[in-house]
Amino acid sequence: MKTTLRPMAAFILYLTIATSLTVPSSVSANECGAATVISIHCGSAPSATIDDDGRLWVTYVHDQHVYVSHSDDQGKTYSSAVRVNPVKEDAEHNGENRPKIIVDENSNVYVSWTKKTSPRFTGEIRFSRSTDGGKTFESPRTINDDGLFAGHRFESLYQTESGHLYMTWIDKRDLEASIARGEDYAGAAIYYAVSDDRGATFSTNTRIANNSCECCRIAIAPQGPENIAILWRQIFGVTTRDHAIAVLTPFGEIQDMGRASYDEWQIDACPHHGPTMIQSSESGDYHMSWFSNGDLHQGIYYARYSFEEAQPSQVYRVDGKAGAGHPYLAEFAGTLYLVWKGFDGQNTNLSLIRSIDDGASWSEATILHRTSQGSDHPLIVSDDEGLYLSWHTQEYGYVFEKLTNDRESRSGD
Amino acid sequence: MTKKTHRAIGAMPRLFAGVLLLCASSVVAADNFKAFTNESFEQIKASFAGQEFLLGLWSVDCPPCMVEMQLMAELIELNPDLPYVLVSTDSIEQRDYSAEYLEDVGLEDKESWMFADSFVERLRFSIDPNWYGELPRSYFFDSEHNTQSHSGIVSEELLSEWFSRPLKFR
Repeated sequence: MKTTLRPMAAFILYLTIATSLTVPSSVSANECGAATVISIHCGSAPSATIDDDGRLWVTYVHDQHVYVSHSDDQGKTYSSAVRVNPVKEDAEHNGENRPKIIVDENSNVYVSWTKKTSPRFTGEIRFSRSTDGGKTFESPRTINDDGLFAGHRFESLYQTESGHLYMTWIDKRDLEASIARGEDYAGAAIYYAVSDDRGATFSTNTRIANNSCECCRIAIAPQGPENIAILWRQIFGVTTRDHAIAVLTPFGEIQDMGRASYDEWQIDACPHHGPTMIQSSESGDYHMSWFSNGDLHQGIYYARYSFEEAQPSQVYRVDGKAGAGHPYLAEFAGTLYLVWKGFDGQNTNLSLIRSIDDGASWSEATILHRTSQGSDHPLIVSDDEGLYLSWHTQEYGYVFEKLTNDRESRSGD
Repeated sequence: MTKKTHRAIGAMPRLFAGVLLLCASSVVAADNFKAFTNESFEQIKASFAGQEFLLGLWSVDCPPCMVEMQLMAELIELNPDLPYVLVSTDSIEQRDYSAEYLEDVGLEDKESWMFADSFVERLRFSIDPNWYGELPRSYFFDSEHNTQSHSGIVSEELLSEWFSRPLKFR
């Protein structure tokens, strides 16, 4: 569109942009040069959710601010961006460590992120909420309660049916204490806190496990109406970085901790590659997917985990090609969907497989998208109508599109 | 030349870290980072034609990398001519953090590159299609540029095995 603006009109337009922080939603990420452009397409590392009214909410980072935008037309257009943290802070915005958003049935909006406090892996777990439907946000609060200038990073946020709001994260307070005592400590620890009053307050922090990996996202799925199951990369033995699973209650109890993957990835390094997990609506078991480059397994894997049997089953290699990574799982109407990224030397391919038998077998892979530029990890968002891909790309901007179509809901391929 | 102090990786006093951050943000590109693009890996290899060298990939977001770089800094203090090239997988747009760390550990004078393309998969591929991005990652090239790779903290044993020259260790 070519338009000529008179100076006054241009000035008014500038003011409009500067004050409302609104941009056309059609801007692609390649047009995001100006620092003043605040849009979902130009932001970094978005997360999304859909509320009970079908409104899409997206949070993302731009220039040290966390923003929230919403859309009432499934991502075609977005509202003005609302700034969550009034004062700039170094909010992490990468594939493994992104702001999170949850909207409850009363339209309370909960946002969390990790504030990087130095280049040395120190950070704070930050939380803010809106109780006026996303118009304004409360001053951000720090949820880790140790007051230490230490590592608290890679937070995950989850709300159960009961309304309990769980925050889990990777925490280095025990590592610091060990260093102070002159003792060795492998990796970091996993901690959590729970709010039973819709984010007004959080419980004291509880340690879930020592010796976790330091740099992988934590996956959360429900376990009954008020508990959660979490899956994270854990150091077993001296250097084996496979996965552990546990159930957490709102009362600081950790139950049924077990080993969820046996890949034998012996590595003294940061994989920066966290797992994904959902609970099966059919069996109540857990569907997991993750990356490993271990002695036993190399590539993207899927497996099912039952807390009764306390071991993984149906272990399936999703993609063993070099460059495959960052899987994400979801279920709709009894069909499992798994998306992940691969790189063929020229392009990143976003692939999908499905299972209609609770993970016992999987379809052939379909390539959903291909891009010859940079892209974020893919995520899947759900509502009553289906599943949606949430994927930020340099080439296409923020991609939000339906993965399921109505007639295929139980037909698998 | 001033003697470098090698600080432990543990927590820093808050005030001191704050001062460091202020310094880092107010200094403009006081580093020698080169922009690592799709052609850079071949350029680096060409610049070491007929010579052995070690390429070390790291990130400020990788705690084990810090352990390895302290080890490498000590090694280079004892073996100043060791051909060692650093490549940070962090975006060169965030060079301040990386520069601060290199200076602190005493590796700021080494040849240093930073990823300069948001399509990081392609940059990784240009180095090694079989590298998944885990860090630290090391590549050793002998004088004929036969390559060996290692994921995780590189050990003294491995370095001794790789380099043809005798290495001094503390």
